[in-house]
Amino acid sequence: MTDMKNTDMEEINIATDVLVLGGGLTGIKAASEIAGSGYKVILVEKDAELGSKKGPELIGLKEEYKGLQDLEDKIKTDSNVEILTQASLVSAAGVTGDFTARLSKGKKVIEHNVGAIVVATDFATGSLNEKYGLSPADNVLTQSRMDELLASEADKEKLANKTVAFLVGLGQEGNPLVLERVLKSTLALQEIDGCDVYIYAGDLKVASNGLERMYKESREKGAVYFKLTEKPEIIENGKTISFFDTVARRNIEISPDLIVVEEELRADQLNERIAEILKIDVGPLGFLQNDNVHFFPVRSNRDGIFVAGSTREISGLPSAWTDVENIALEVRDLLGDGKKSVAKNKAVVNEDKCVICLTCYRCCPHGAIYWGDKKAVISPVACQGCGICASECPMDAIQIGGFSDEEMIEEVKSGVASGNGTPRILAFCCQNSAFEAGEMADIFKMQLPDGLRMIKVPCAGKIDLDYILNAFVAGADGILVMACHPGNCKSEKGNTYAQWRVNDAYRMLEEVGLEKDRLCFVGTASNMGSGFSSIVVDMEKRINELGLSPLK
Amino acid sequence: MIVAKRKPFEEIKTMLKDYKKVLTVGCGTCVAVCLVGGEKEVGILNAELSMARKIDGNPIDLGATTLERQCDMEFLDELENVVDEYEALLSMACGAGIQFLAERYPNKPVLPAVDTTFIGANRDVGWYEEKCRSCGSCVLGWTGGICPVTMCAKGLYNGPCGGTDDGNCEIHKDQPCAWFMIYERLAAQGRLDLIMEFQPITAWQNQKPRTLVQPGYEKREEAG
Ligand code: SF4
Ligand code: SF4
Ligand code: SF4
Ligand code: SF4
Repeated sequence: MTDMKNTDMEEINIATDVLVLGGGLTGIKAASEIAGSGYKVILVEKDAELGSKKGPELIGLKEEYKGLQDLEDKIKTDSNVEILTQASLVSAAGVTGDFTARLSKGKKVIEHNVGAIVVATDFATGSLNEKYGLSPADNVLTQSRMDELLASEADKEKLANKTVAFLVGLGQEGNPLVLERVLKSTLALQEIDGCDVYIYAGDLKVASNGLERMYKESREKGAVYFKLTEKPEIIENGKTISFFDTVARRNIEISPDLIVVEEELRADQLNERIAEILKIDVGPLGFLQNDNVHFFPVRSNRDGIFVAGSTREISGLPSAWTDVENIALEVRDLLGDGKKSVAKNKAVVNEDKCVICLTCYRCCPHGAIYWGDKKAVISPVACQGCGICASECPMDAIQIGGFSDEEMIEEVKSGVASGNGTPRILAFCCQNSAFEAGEMADIFKMQLPDGLRMIKVPCAGKIDLDYILNAFVAGADGILVMACHPGNCKSEKGNTYAQWRVNDAYRMLEEVGLEKDRLCFVGTASNMGSGFSSIVVDMEKRINELGLSPLK
Repeated sequence: MIVAKRKPFEEIKTMLKDYKKVLTVGCGTCVAVCLVGGEKEVGILNAELSMARKIDGNPIDLGATTLERQCDMEFLDELENVVDEYEALLSMACGAGIQFLAERYPNKPVLPAVDTTFIGANRDVGWYEEKCRSCGSCVLGWTGGICPVTMCAKGLYNGPCGGTDDGNCEIHKDQPCAWFMIYERLAAQGRLDLIMEFQPITAWQNQKPRTLVQPGYEKREEAG
């Protein structure tokens, strides 16, 4: 295998502006952090105002709210931050280091060339009144409305001498952030003269940072908590709340002035549209979470596109801001000083062969391919060299540096040659898992068949149907296709492609009349040295039962 | 584009059974794009064939080449120097290409490796939908861009038959009714008046093989 030499590298210029989508608590912080690293930021917000005024979830926490307000003021005067309100992303072409984002603001469409994109939407709230059989009224408030009242000095006064009841954790699964909102407002209400607070709660999950402390503090100050297993009876749209206390063995009835209903926290509606435009994965609830273990959680499946805070999972301000700090580091890593050294031959399209069928463009899990005038174009920055495209191209028009078709077929042939009567077993090994496992098995002198030959591939997605068939043609007795376990592939779908191709090959072997047992697909992990050994030893056993290949 | 699918392997094998040296000829246009007859598929088919023949004790020698297009004589000329080395040619192009190849090398048996299926569009990788039956007088201008010849089981030109059933065709519940779709599309565009325009029945020119000369080229043809 030829390893890439430094001479195969070239320096290219990349765009260093950064697009931040979402001008709420996460986006403001992202703009400020990234501009702070010296990059120009374009901050896009769909509403007329940036988020510090409309972050209901913050208002209970004055210091943080103030911190956000200060940040907002700061970015508004920062010449490195261009703020576009009432704007949205229309399209985004290109790849990491060179995205062309088109943004619409009113009737205008503005185009920006950016090197990275940060999706920083906040969570949205939804009313759960119905779950409690309540309808909106003067005495029935959502948690957001209560937060708003508490944020305004004038409204706050009106809360004096009121009895306030909170309903939480009975209309939905308990969630620490939902509870945090209740605890924050409780503590704020307790500062107001004559306020009494009752909390009707389902499962109280106080395990999260600081919640236990707030819970205790509020109790010491006189808040009354009722832990219930089912919803209390709510009479006359919240005029009276009643439940049977099993300890006191009687009904406990309270008539609060105000009843505050918990809210559901969900992904921003914009997420799905943004994900579609950016071609990044969406989870079932509309969060843009990437649960691939090989990636940092703030990375999406596409290089240069990051997801922060509530974009990927419900996050309060502190965890959203931690995400943003991590992203700022990643962005610095990615964009540097705008010059990047990339491998020239990572994946190269042969212009004469390409018929622009778009197969590679549709298959590349990293969105690294676009098309120019006459051929597919692969961005050396975005390409991860997995080789999925090369193995899917109907014209064999793509070659991967160090793993060209010619080199691979050469390896296959030499791997099959020289069989001195022992079964020749070729194992195509993903370098991220099986190849390491195989080397481990070798170093620790685990049992390995004499006729085994490992062939390293950058990702199982590079294992071409052609290689498998040609290995049999050349006389291989057995072939193992060794990929990462499901969900563990660095290229998301490399193992899936490999599995598909093996299934295709099974069909062909059947047509041809060669025993299917000579071919096997297995998932492996890099630490599976002994697993590797037993897989290949098993294969040898099977071959011994079948006899050598009739194609020798 | 022309969409084709690989012939069953057994059929190809049977066609080739009496030949020992065959050139497999791919086509680098439509059939490459629909993942059936480009360079990769040529390699795969050859690998399959050589395995099968070896197992049968009747090895075959296979050559491989992929032309730009088999429906242009100029590209077929490229085979001139190699054709004589082979007993037969196995073409992976569409029916048009295969016939042109056979015409260009009339002394060689030319065999088809694919079944030409339809004129279609590419919905996703490897997924094609028939869109046009090349009827020779396109009515898409009146039908909201939905082809009644292809999409209507009866190829009706003037509105649905009595079998239209809640938006589906009476031939199968999963087959949308072409005329229902046409109605919906035109209604959404505010162009429903078009549906009342009567379309004369087509001359069904496709009952005999057709030739098409692009208008600008007619004169040149005559002169040539
Ligand atoms: S898959 Fe191959 S032929 Fe198709 S666009 Fe990509 S490089 Fe070109
Ligand atoms: S090698 Fe992998 S990452 Fe690179 S362009 Fe091809 S499919 Fe995309
Ligand atoms: S021979 Fe057929 S498949 Fe090939 S380019 Fe011509 S029409 Fe397309
Ligand atoms: S009417 Fe239908 S079959 Fe006829 S040319 Fe138009 S699309 Fe093709």
